[in-house]
Amino acid sequence: MSVWEYIVDLFVNVRTDWIEWLQGFNLASSLIILLDSLIGIILMLIFVFPIVIIFIWLERRFIAWMQLRPGPNRCGPFGLLQPIADAIKTLIKELIMPAKGDKLVHWLAPVVLFFSGLMLFAVIPIGKGHLGALADLNIGILYIVAIGSLSVTAIFMAGWSSNNKYALLGAMRAVAQLVSYEVPMVLSIVGVVLIVGSLQMSEIVGQQSYPFILVQPLGCFIYFIGAMAELNRSPMDQIEAESELTTGYFTEYSGMKFATFFLGEYISTLAIATIVTTLFLGGWKGPFLPVWFWFVFKVFAVFLVILWMRATLIRVRIDQIMAFSWKFLLPMALINIFITAAEVLIWDKWMSGWESFPWPFIFVNWAIAVVLILLWSKIFFKLGGGRVEVGEVRPGYSQGYGADLQAPVS
Amino acid sequence: MNFWLLSPELSLCGIALAVVLLDLVIEQKKVLAVISVFGLIIPIAFTIALWGEQQASFSGMLVVDNFSLFFKFLILGISALVIISSVDYVKKFARFQGEYYALILFSTGGLMLMCSTGELISIYIALELASISLYALVSFLKDPKSSEAGLKYMILGAISSAVLLLGMAFVFGITGSTHLDQIADKVSTLVSGGQLWDSPALLFGIVLMVAGFGFKIASVPFQMWVPDVYEGAPTPITAFLSVASKAAGFAVILRVFYTAFGIEAISADWGMIFAVLGAISMTLGNVVAIAQTNIKRMLGYSSIAHAGYIMVGLAAISTLGKSGVLFFLAGYALANLGAFIAIIAISNKTGSDEISDYSGMSRRSPVISFILAFCLISLIGIPPTVGFMAKFYIFNAAIQQDLLWLVIIAVLNSTISAYYYLRVVKVIYIGEPLSDEPIPSSIPMRVSLAITSIGVLVLGIYPWIVLRLAETAVVTFP
Amino acid sequence: MTELAFWVIAIVLVSSALAVVLLRNVFRAALLLIVCFFGVAALYITLNADFLAAAQVLIYAGAIGILLLFAIMLTRDLHSGNPFHRLHLPALVLSLLLLATIIGVVIGTDWTTISEVPQVVEMPLDEPTTSYIAIALFDQDNGFVLPFEIASVLLLAALIGAVVLVRREGKD
Repeated sequence: MSVWEYIVDLFVNVRTDWIEWLQGFNLASSLIILLDSLIGIILMLIFVFPIVIIFIWLERRFIAWMQLRPGPNRCGPFGLLQPIADAIKTLIKELIMPAKGDKLVHWLAPVVLFFSGLMLFAVIPIGKGHLGALADLNIGILYIVAIGSLSVTAIFMAGWSSNNKYALLGAMRAVAQLVSYEVPMVLSIVGVVLIVGSLQMSEIVGQQSYPFILVQPLGCFIYFIGAMAELNRSPMDQIEAESELTTGYFTEYSGMKFATFFLGEYISTLAIATIVTTLFLGGWKGPFLPVWFWFVFKVFAVFLVILWMRATLIRVRIDQIMAFSWKFLLPMALINIFITAAEVLIWDKWMSGWESFPWPFIFVNWAIAVVLILLWSKIFFKLGGGRVEVGEVRPGYSQGYGADLQAPVS
Repeated sequence: MNFWLLSPELSLCGIALAVVLLDLVIEQKKVLAVISVFGLIIPIAFTIALWGEQQASFSGMLVVDNFSLFFKFLILGISALVIISSVDYVKKFARFQGEYYALILFSTGGLMLMCSTGELISIYIALELASISLYALVSFLKDPKSSEAGLKYMILGAISSAVLLLGMAFVFGITGSTHLDQIADKVSTLVSGGQLWDSPALLFGIVLMVAGFGFKIASVPFQMWVPDVYEGAPTPITAFLSVASKAAGFAVILRVFYTAFGIEAISADWGMIFAVLGAISMTLGNVVAIAQTNIKRMLGYSSIAHAGYIMVGLAAISTLGKSGVLFFLAGYALANLGAFIAIIAISNKTGSDEISDYSGMSRRSPVISFILAFCLISLIGIPPTVGFMAKFYIFNAAIQQDLLWLVIIAVLNSTISAYYYLRVVKVIYIGEPLSDEPIPSSIPMRVSLAITSIGVLVLGIYPWIVLRLAETAVVTFP
Repeated sequence: MTELAFWVIAIVLVSSALAVVLLRNVFRAALLLIVCFFGVAALYITLNADFLAAAQVLIYAGAIGILLLFAIMLTRDLHSGNPFHRLHLPALVLSLLLLATIIGVVIGTDWTTISEVPQVVEMPLDEPTTSYIAIALFDQDNGFVLPFEIASVLLLAALIGAVVLVRREGKD
């Protein structure tokens, strides 16, 4: 094997060698599995943490560039050392604990968020074959959906244990929003699963001789928007809106705990970017260059789109966010499943030779996606565009927010 | 998969969806009631067309035989009458009239499926479909009483579902199947010693399932929800609950117990459970009903008592007993619906369900009062009404099976029940009217009142019309 | 290995379940219930039921647990916890009786083992379960298509019912 071939699939080759080396010692098979997982976890962390640090730097620089200002540029060349300076600063800050808060839960919340983000990487393939992912589970995508729902619990724990009304309001919004967006998000994945016929992540990547965004434009669109909401990123960051909720659920967090939260959010962002890459952009596949390069390249591309949205779009109101999920994304996700299922049936029956590049489906699906989005947004705005309907104010009740909760003004 | 066999339920679901969708565009909500009622003709027609069919489909989960078709017809008819009598009542709701009809239709679909599934999981899910729609319907008025009723019904219903599921789990665990016929095969080997005690898990499962279904048919000691829910729910829904839900509950009990646990070694055991529960139910229902001042509450206790009477038919394990249950349910449905529709007509005007407000009603509305009195007399069981024939038939079955003690209790109870039913009749005919305003009645009301009262009378004189059907229906069971 | 895992999971499961019932702090009880759900998922994994485990986490820990937390947040006077009332003792006695009955039934029964029962799908151990579950559910001859379809109608009815109950009266 030439050096170049070794580098092309670096992660997988390192891991294969490690396993082969271990097998030379006549160890018990369960011990080999354990040690293999260990090297896998280390490789994964080597992959995750540098990228997260680059993300933090990139976010500030890129948005600064878009907003025509210099951004952080004092620490190191181009401000590259800024994240490290930030980390040192937050770590030596005082840990503040609200007097009447729930101390244990307050401590646990950032840890749960941090690890629920990290756990997502276990099934993401960054190389060819079964060894490409730390654990190439048969139920890969279902695992992602299941673990992804955990971050809600963490946010909730943070909001509750802070014993602060803004934190609680933020958590409440978070739960409402995340639960709502999880539905279209999961449904949008179903399209991909239908085409592939497997939940395994390596299988999903393996079957993408062309990126699935071409046949699943609607699914990709819905998943991406849903993911933005799951990440609480602008323009869906109503949960931690500084101007009205003083940063929502982590109002009471400082120092190390805040840093963990912060890092956890970036890890989740990276996880979402890798999932989008794997599901819709062909994962590690790409011509000529090493597979890990293609993977990282696509992840950065997705991240830049996320940043672009943050820099361009303004924050939406909470009722608009909710209505957007239920009245816009959910029906479209259902239509997408229906169309994809019909196409899979047609595909199996009459188009067995088209696996490599089914351009009629690509054409039809893009047309459907564009027409549906345009038509549905028209209906959406006609039906009130996500305005919350405020019931008639009953006679004898005071007007204003929460009027129906108050006793009659006699 | 034979979709022809599923046609009544499929068409019913189609109508329910059509009502929900048309609700978006139709301003005149009365049209939705018309669509629902005339739409119900389609599943009724399919049901009649399927009569005589004896098949199972969907891997034995959907069982279409005369027994299930009898109940489907009964439940569809009840649903149609309830919708007709709701036309005036729904003016109380500011909105959601379309959803009201759709939920009634969904619940009807659930009840129909309950009657025609031969598999425990399908039974459970169909039961939940019926119940969840009813939870929403019970609290439809959204006033404190209605909300309380809905909450009570939902919490207790959820607990009873859990109990039922636990019972099913035990039965599944011991027999390894959820199909009733396969359970029957396994049960016959399990209790080869001739004693239910041979297999404690089976016994425990059966007891838990009796408890779960007992909630549905409102038998003691699972009756706590009845008075409050009956009083708080919108009156048409109370009527629906008291007849359709009960009929489907008995249909499921008949099917599960006769198909799965029907072998002679154990049928006497569960027959005794039903005999004891029936005796307690009718006694408690009738005695407590005496003290009621609200007519809906009173009819609630009366419905507990009637569950007791019907269980006499279950306890008598014979063809006569089974067909008696079917006939009793049909007669009870007619009489009880008639009474409730009359109550709806009166309360639409007076806005009250207190018995004292019915004073002198015969002078304000002679026809409605007469029909109410007539239906109450049928509930007592006095000839020439269907109530008499039904009780006669079912008690006859019990006597033939040496259950004389149970029949004596039942007859004594009928005598007690005469007291409180006749008290209402007395108030209506002898009391002084509270005002001179007549009670108006719309055409839908008149139609439904006419159907029920004529049905009560005709079946009281010629019971064979329905009895024949009931007898052919129960041939399904060995 | 599996046995050790079972005992660890069992201890976590039972202790967290007990804590759910005994803790006065309702919020922590709900969190421990989520831990309990995870324990069940872990048990499924030791039984090679991978799909079931993921579904357990997704539905119970993800959806039902969150719903529970949401309900807690909307509850007033939460800090007083789970108050004492006079039915405490009868409830305890009854549940102990039920427990004794169930234990008695479980011990006293000669249970049928899986090999004596006809299976819907013959499936080898140590294989991914997803496709077998799909066959068991949707097989044309002996699948569970009918209850599955009833369940979809059930969800629609529940949605309509929920919308009706939650929305305010008055004009649109």
